[in-house]
Amino acid sequence: MSIPAIGGIGAALTSTPPLTGPVGPSDATTTGTDFGKLLGHGLQSVQDAQTHTDQLAVQAATGDLTDVHDYMIASTQSTLMTELTVAVRNKAVEAFNDIMRMPL
Amino acid sequence: MSDMFGAINSAGSGLTVYRQWLDAISDNIANINTARPTSEAAFQQRWVEAAPTGQPGEAGSGVAVSGISLGDPQGRLVYDPQNPLADKNGYVRMPDIDLGEQMVQMIMAQRAYQANLAVIDRARDAYQQALQIGRQS
Repeated sequence: MSIPAIGGIGAALTSTPPLTGPVGPSDATTTGTDFGKLLGHGLQSVQDAQTHTDQLAVQAATGDLTDVHDYMIASTQSTLMTELTVAVRNKAVEAFNDIMRMPL
Repeated sequence: MSDMFGAINSAGSGLTVYRQWLDAISDNIANINTARPTSEAAFQQRWVEAAPTGQPGEAGSGVAVSGISLGDPQGRLVYDPQNPLADKNGYVRMPDIDLGEQMVQMIMAQRAYQANLAVIDRARDAYQQALQIGRQS
């Protein structure tokens, strides 16, 4: 039985350009977004979502909340975004540990 | 909000619309016995108008209340000579609202609210399942 997705990955691997040694993040020829910047961006939006949820929580406590579902949606969104951040962070730590464990 | 939670945000806008519809129905039922003298307009039934937000062909933008339209100001004339608001012929103006119709609309609004809540639940479940990708158990 052939699995087309795995074949697709093989094609992608062969079309990948050969490795040319380490390239620093300051290299001007690097295209695409820096992982650090991406992470900073993500953390900022998680922070924004949690601030929004906190504001709605204060509104709920003071009785100024008009839509109950707004608060629950904001709380769900900030929970999901935090879970996503933690998942990305765990993967990054895992990758670092894998590299550190590499036998040299 | 970001596009990351398109389904949740659309369903949230639906919840707001149906909450406003329930508010309008509640207003109509609360005023169903509001008598006015015949020289004034009767209480007018509230109708919530909804319209999609965003461009045609675009998904994930949701819905919004575009306006409130009002029912017939004539109402119906009811013979009630005991009423202090009655005119010299004994008539008052009652709002032209059908309670049965309002109850049906209330069920529709409530069910639609629940449907949007179900969408949010499923979307959240889907996003949480996506976070399980590649996780060793």
